[in-house]
Amino acid sequence: MRPLTVAGVAAVAAGLFAALDRGIAAAVSPTSAVVTLLGVLGLAQGVRYVNARRDRRQLLTDPGEPERRAPATVPGSALDERIAQVASPAPGGYQSRRDLRGRVREAAVVAVARDRNCAREAAAEAVDDGTWTDDPAAAAFFDTRTGYPVRVRLVAGVRGRSNYWYGLRAAIDELERIDGGEP
Amino acid sequence: MSESRDAAVAPGSADSDPDGSEASDAGASAAKEATGAEVSEATGAGESDATGAESTETATDRERRREVATDRWLGIAGAALSLVGLGVLVRQSALVLAGAVGVGYAVYARAGDAPPPTLAVTRSVSDAAPEPGDEVRVTVRAENVGERALPDLRLVDGVPPGLAVVDGPARVATALRPGTAVTFEYTVRGARGDHEWEPLTAITRDAAGARERVSDLDAPTAIACTPELSAGGDLPLRGLTTVHHGRVPTDVGGAGVEFHATREYRRGDPLKRVDWNRRARTGELSTVELREERSATVMLLVDARESAYVAADPDAETAVEASVAAAGQAFSALLDGGDRVGVAALSPLDCWLPPGSGTVHAARGRETLATDPALAPTPSDERFYRSLWLRRFRRRLPADAQVLFFTPLVDDTAATLARRIDAHGHLVTVLSPDPTATGTAGERLAALERRQRLRTLRSAGIRALEWGDDSFPVAVAAATRRWSR
Repeated sequence: MRPLTVAGVAAVAAGLFAALDRGIAAAVSPTSAVVTLLGVLGLAQGVRYVNARRDRRQLLTDPGEPERRAPATVPGSALDERIAQVASPAPGGYQSRRDLRGRVREAAVVAVARDRNCAREAAAEAVDDGTWTDDPAAAAFFDTRTGYPVRVRLVAGVRGRSNYWYGLRAAIDELERIDGGEP
Repeated sequence: MSESRDAAVAPGSADSDPDGSEASDAGASAAKEATGAEVSEATGAGESDATGAESTETATDRERRREVATDRWLGIAGAALSLVGLGVLVRQSALVLAGAVGVGYAVYARAGDAPPPTLAVTRSVSDAAPEPGDEVRVTVRAENVGERALPDLRLVDGVPPGLAVVDGPARVATALRPGTAVTFEYTVRGARGDHEWEPLTAITRDAAGARERVSDLDAPTAIACTPELSAGGDLPLRGLTTVHHGRVPTDVGGAGVEFHATREYRRGDPLKRVDWNRRARTGELSTVELREERSATVMLLVDARESAYVAADPDAETAVEASVAAAGQAFSALLDGGDRVGVAALSPLDCWLPPGSGTVHAARGRETLATDPALAPTPSDERFYRSLWLRRFRRRLPADAQVLFFTPLVDDTAATLARRIDAHGHLVTVLSPDPTATGTAGERLAALERRQRLRTLRSAGIRALEWGDDSFPVAVAAATRRWSR
């Protein structure tokens, strides 16, 4: 048992004993100031404990789920986490946006080159100038000189998402359409 | 099967644990509290309630993981102190007395100590060598062999991560007096591989639940699940062969069954090979040459890097499982066809079964595919070094070997390695289970990239086959029709 706990137990026991036996209580006659100080100390300590409890959760051990087999990773789940980071209209995450755009662009260049049976350079040019698709949102995703359509901006503003997020989804939709789904 | 494998229990003192109140909070360094091990018979009879049998067991090895104050009573201590303080300030003895009751509870919470779980744990399994899909009943018995009661005990078994519990929770919550025991049971479904149980986690708390101690109880148990290999159809190989007779048609004229070419008759050619029709038409003697059939040396390479443990659903079989199952079918089919077959893994752990043939080799291949640590149902924590692996693989690979590469192709590394191995003269066939999903934007992009990798490999002259919902033999049969030699 901790010393402070022992002292606390002794103090409480003495207090209870004094409450029962008025003779002992009468023998101790602290001044009003001391009693007030003790009251303030007790109240302050109590409030401190309550505040500490408010900020902390119980530290009970979570044993996890050993009954469940180790879950497999779904291909693309890491990409989804990065996409979720750039879904917010708040500024920042430039590196993530640039990396994601670069990755989707690479897939777009390969898909366009195959679809149009053209050289990789020609496909890259078409992707960069937005002529690879009729979807203005998908085109604007790679073509930084062209802004996103007003409709996309409005929807993004209302739903609290970034234009980038809508452009990314439109680009992937368009890529799937071009790709055809057959390996 | 009624065979059972029992866990070990440890002799010796188990109460060498230091005073829990002096232990540090979360993250306290683990301390070994008992040593030694011996095997004893499990006595669990299936009951889940405590029994009062006399203790004859010794305590299981125990390793303390952490001991913490749970802060469960922190709020009541604050409220009690606030009441006492307020009562003193306003000179109201009723408030002080009410607070004193709360203080009593707070003291009660702090006075206790989480007792060390001095338990003798035995774990038994109904079948130590099940077939994949078989249900295995696991019985865990824990007896309190210490001198202190355990007012709040929770036991959570360390089920191997490659096994799923299909019946009953692998845990129990109870209170144990000294000499009493608790038994709980659950059922796991057998899956390919060696599966070793992790230590059982024991969580003990004092009566007030204010302090908690987490310990690991080591009770080694393992099952080995080795699937039978079944031949998966006639797998077409590429034209890199050995000099030995086999079943792979070559571009070399000689003995065989398929027409290859005609040439001028030479003395000694068998009469049945003379082209008599041509002789009748032109008067020239010519000999028919047939396509010679030879055996091949084939290395089955399974991608078992961490990135290959993927599936379209978190609870589905991973691509490594699909690859190993397909490799098993290919192994049997190729051996049956007279080819020499070996097994290797693209993994941070070394796995190499050199090409061979015969029944002993078949047994070795089955064992390798089932239980080699490099092909375990869960990924290794080791780091994979691509260049080192490739150098070692090329050094070991026989010059006339071709490679069947089983990979989900979810990253560029696998595709690059396939091209590099092929460029070094070992003809590669990529066999790819499809683990992609199409629910979210990221999943769709990953699926698109994988399809592009397959196309890139094919355009580089590498055979590539994928299978998803279809079985592997069905996919092979469909691909064989469009493949040429």
